[in-house]
Amino acid sequence: MTLVAPSGDTAPPAVHSPWPGLIRGTFATAACLAALAAMMIDLKMAPETLLSGSSKLGRFIASMVPPSDGGDSLRILRSLAETFAMAVAGTALAIVAALPLGLLGAKTVVSNGLLHFLFRRCLDIFRGVPALVWALIFISAFGLGPFAGVVALAFADIPNLAKLFAETLENCDRGPVEGARASGVSKILEIRFGLVPQVAPVLASQCLYYLESNFRHAAVLGIVGAGGIGFELDERIRIFAFDQVAFIVLLYMLCVAALDFVSRQLRARLA
Amino acid sequence: MSAGPNSVVETFELARRRGLRRQWLQSGLGLLVFSLILGVSFQRSQLFSSEIGGDPLGRIGEFLVRMTPSLHGEVLFESRSTPGSLASWYYDLPVWLAAIWQTIEMAIIATVLGSLGAVVASLLCASNLMPWRPVRFIVRRSLEVTRTMPDLVLALILVAAFGVGPLPGVITLSISTMGGLGKLFAEINEEVDPRQLEALDAAGAGTLNKIRYGVFPQVLPAYASYGLLRLEGNLAAAGALGIVGAGGIGLELQRAITYTEYNTYLAILILMVSMIFLIDLLSETIRHRLIRLDEGGQ
Amino acid sequence: MLELKDLSKRFGDTLAVDGVTLSVGRGELVGVIGRSGSGKSTLLRLINRLAEPTDGSVAWDGAPIKGLSGKGLRRWRHSCAMIFQQFNLSPRLDVLTNVLVGVAAKRPLWTSMIKFFPASDRARAVLELDTLDMASAALQRAGTLSGGQQQRVAIARALMQDPSIILADEPVASLDPVNAEVVMGALQRACRERDIPVLVSLHSLDIARRYCTRIVAMAKGRVVFDGPPSALTQTIVDQIYAGRNNRPSLIEDEATMEVAAA
Ligand SMILES: Nc1ncnc2c1ncn2[C@@H]1O[C@H](COP(=O)(O)OP(=O)(O)OP(=O)(O)O)[C@@H](O)[C@H]1O
Ligand SMILES: [Mg+2]
Repeated sequence: MTLVAPSGDTAPPAVHSPWPGLIRGTFATAACLAALAAMMIDLKMAPETLLSGSSKLGRFIASMVPPSDGGDSLRILRSLAETFAMAVAGTALAIVAALPLGLLGAKTVVSNGLLHFLFRRCLDIFRGVPALVWALIFISAFGLGPFAGVVALAFADIPNLAKLFAETLENCDRGPVEGARASGVSKILEIRFGLVPQVAPVLASQCLYYLESNFRHAAVLGIVGAGGIGFELDERIRIFAFDQVAFIVLLYMLCVAALDFVSRQLRARLA
Repeated sequence: MSAGPNSVVETFELARRRGLRRQWLQSGLGLLVFSLILGVSFQRSQLFSSEIGGDPLGRIGEFLVRMTPSLHGEVLFESRSTPGSLASWYYDLPVWLAAIWQTIEMAIIATVLGSLGAVVASLLCASNLMPWRPVRFIVRRSLEVTRTMPDLVLALILVAAFGVGPLPGVITLSISTMGGLGKLFAEINEEVDPRQLEALDAAGAGTLNKIRYGVFPQVLPAYASYGLLRLEGNLAAAGALGIVGAGGIGLELQRAITYTEYNTYLAILILMVSMIFLIDLLSETIRHRLIRLDEGGQ
Repeated sequence: MLELKDLSKRFGDTLAVDGVTLSVGRGELVGVIGRSGSGKSTLLRLINRLAEPTDGSVAWDGAPIKGLSGKGLRRWRHSCAMIFQQFNLSPRLDVLTNVLVGVAAKRPLWTSMIKFFPASDRARAVLELDTLDMASAALQRAGTLSGGQQQRVAIARALMQDPSIILADEPVASLDPVNAEVVMGALQRACRERDIPVLVSLHSLDIARRYCTRIVAMAKGRVVFDGPPSALTQTIVDQIYAGRNNRPSLIEDEATMEVAAA
C-alpha cells in the first residue's frame, strides 16, 4: 500500500506527515463516540430495554403473518380513498395559496433586496413546522375529521411550494419574454407566450411531487384524529391487531407505489 | 416549393385539424378526470360540508385568539406568579428546554446511526463495488420499503413494543434515515472516479482497502453534506414523533393540546420553530463550507 | 426614414452608446460592426426601446419615439421587428404559434390568450414559413428545431409583423455558414421587396461586405465609420479593431476574436 498515504480524514495527505493527522483523527473519533454514548445514556437507551422491547417486537411481527383484513376490507378501502382525497385537496389548496406567494417571493418580481430577504426568511421559518403540528392546531379548531387534516397539509406545503415557485420564476429564461415584447404585445401576452409555456410544466411537475409526498403525510395525520387510513391503523395498533396492521400497511404501500408510478409517468410527459 | 401557395396552406390545415382533434380529446379527457378527482376529493374531505360547523375562517380566527397569550406591557418581565408576564406564559420553560434538547439528541443519534447503516447499505448496492446482483437487488428493495413506510406508523408500532419514550423515536428515525440516505449514498458511490479504483486494483488492494482509500476520500464530503441536510429533516420529524409518544418536544405539544392550554401550545411551538430555524442556519453554513472544501479539494 | 440624434445610453459608469447620430433611409441594409462591447446590441435595443435612452432622440418619418408609452410604444415595437442572436422563441410552443405572436398585438386579447388566431392569419404564417422552407415544421415545437431553423422561424415572426423597420442583433452569430447565408438572404429580400430599412449587427466583415449596402462601425459606443462597403479599407478596419495585432478581416466570429485577444 504505497499508492495513497494513510492519514486522518481531516488532514490532507502529502502535506503533513501522516502521524499527527492520524492521532488527531483518532482523538476526534473517540470524542464523537463519547458524545454519542453520553447522549444515548441521557435518552435511557439501555440494552435491557432494547432487548425486552425487541422480543415484544418479534412477537408483534410474528403475529403479522398472515395479514388479514379483519373482515372489513370495504372500510379500509374507503379510508384509503379518504386519505388520497385529503392529499389531493390539501395539495390543491396549497397550490392556490402558494402561487401568489411564489410571485411575491421571486427576485425578478419584487426586486427590493431587503423585502425579498425578509420574505424568504419568513417562508423558511414556516417551512420548519411539520404537518402534524399544524394538524394538532386545526383539529382543536375544527374538531376531528379530514377537514383539519386537509388544512394542515396545505399549511405545511405552502411555504415549501412558494419557495419552489419563486425559484422557478427566478430561473426562467428571459429570452422568450423579450422576444414577445419586441413584437409589441401587451404585458399579459408577454407572460402568456414567453413565461407560461416555460414555467407551467415545471410547476405542474413540482405539484405532482407534492401530491405524492402529501399522500404519505395524510396517512399519518389520521393518527392524531384527522381521519383516513392513519385512524384505522392507530385503532388496530392499540388493540394489538397486528395481522390487520400488516394488511393495511401492505395495501397502503401498494397505493404509494401506484401513485408514484402514475405521477412519474405524468412528470415524464411534462418534461 | 413545387406546389402552389394554396396547396401548402391546405396541407397544413389538414395536419392541424388532425392534431387538434387529438389534442382536444386528450386535454378534454384529462380535464374531466382531473376535475372529477378534485371535486370528489373536496367533497370527501368535508371541504363543502357543514359538518365542521361552517365558517372555517371564523373558527381559525377564534382559535388564533385563544392561542394568543394575554401579556401586559407593564408586568412583562415580572416573575412567574404574575399573570400577564412573559415568565408566566413560559411557565414550564426548563422542562420544555430539556424536551427540546432531548429532541436534538434523538435527531443526532438517529442521523448518525442511520447514516452508518446507509453507508453499509450503499456499499452493498452500488454496482461498481458489489459484484453480486442478488445482494444489490435485495438491499435496494429493502431500502425502498423503508422509504415508503410512513415513519409515524413505524413509531406507533415501536412505541407499543418499547413503551413511551425517546427510544422508539430514535429507532424509527434511524430506519427512515437509512432508507433515505442509503439511496442517495449509493448514487454517489456509483459516480466515483473509476480510475482510482483501477489504480488500487493494480496495486493488489483488497475490497476493504479499495473502499477505504479509493471510495471514501471521494465521497465523504458529499455524504456529510447530505447527512447534515437529513439532520435538519430529522429534527422536524423528531419534534412531530413525540406527538405519538416517541419522546421529545412533541410530547409536550400533545400535552398542551389535550389540556386545552392553547397559549402554551403557541409558546412551545415558537421554541420548536426557532430551534429548527437555528439549526437550519448552522447546518447551511457548514454545508456551504463542505461544498467549498469539496470543490477546492478535487 | 429612421433618424437617431445624439443617442446615448449609460449603464452605471459605462457609456454603452455615446452620442450616435445616424439616419437610415428605406431600402438600406445597414451592417453595424465593431468589437465586442462596442455597443451594437444596445444601439439596436434603443431603437425599439427595449432599452431606454439616457439622452438623445429617435424619430421615424419625423415622429419622435421618445415620449411613447403604453399602447403607442407597443405599436412602435410592433412596427420595428427584432431578430435576436438567441432567437428568443418560446421553445415549448409550436412553430406556428411562435410566428403568430407577430400579429398577436393586433388581435383581441382574449383570443390571443387561448392561442386562437383567424384562419387568414394562419394561412399567412404558413406562407411566410414556406418562403423560408419551414412550412413542414409548422406544428413542431420550436425547441426541437436546430438553431438555423429557429432563426428562420424568428424571421417569419418578424415578417408577420409587417414591419416598417427590421432590427437584427447578430442574427447569424450562432449559425453554420449555410444557414447564415439563408438568414442573410431572407433579410436582404425583405429589405428590397418591402423597401424598408434593415439594421443588422454582425461580427463577420465578410458577410457585412457581401450583403450590406452600407456599413456603420462602432467603437466604445461611438460611430467611427459610416459608408459603403467599398470605402471600408483595411486601414480603417485596423483602426476599428485597434489594439489587436491580427488581421480582423479574416475573423469570422467572436470566438476567434477572443482567442486572438488572449
Ligand atoms: N443591461 C446592462 N447592464 C449593464 N451594462 C450593460 C448592459 N447591457 C450592456 N452593457 C454594457 O454596455 C456595453 C455595450 O454592450 P453591448 O451589449 O451593446 O455590446 P455589443 O457591441 O453588442 O457586444 P457583443 O458583440 O459582445 O454583443 C458593454 O460594456 C456592456 O458591458
Ligand atoms: Mg451584442
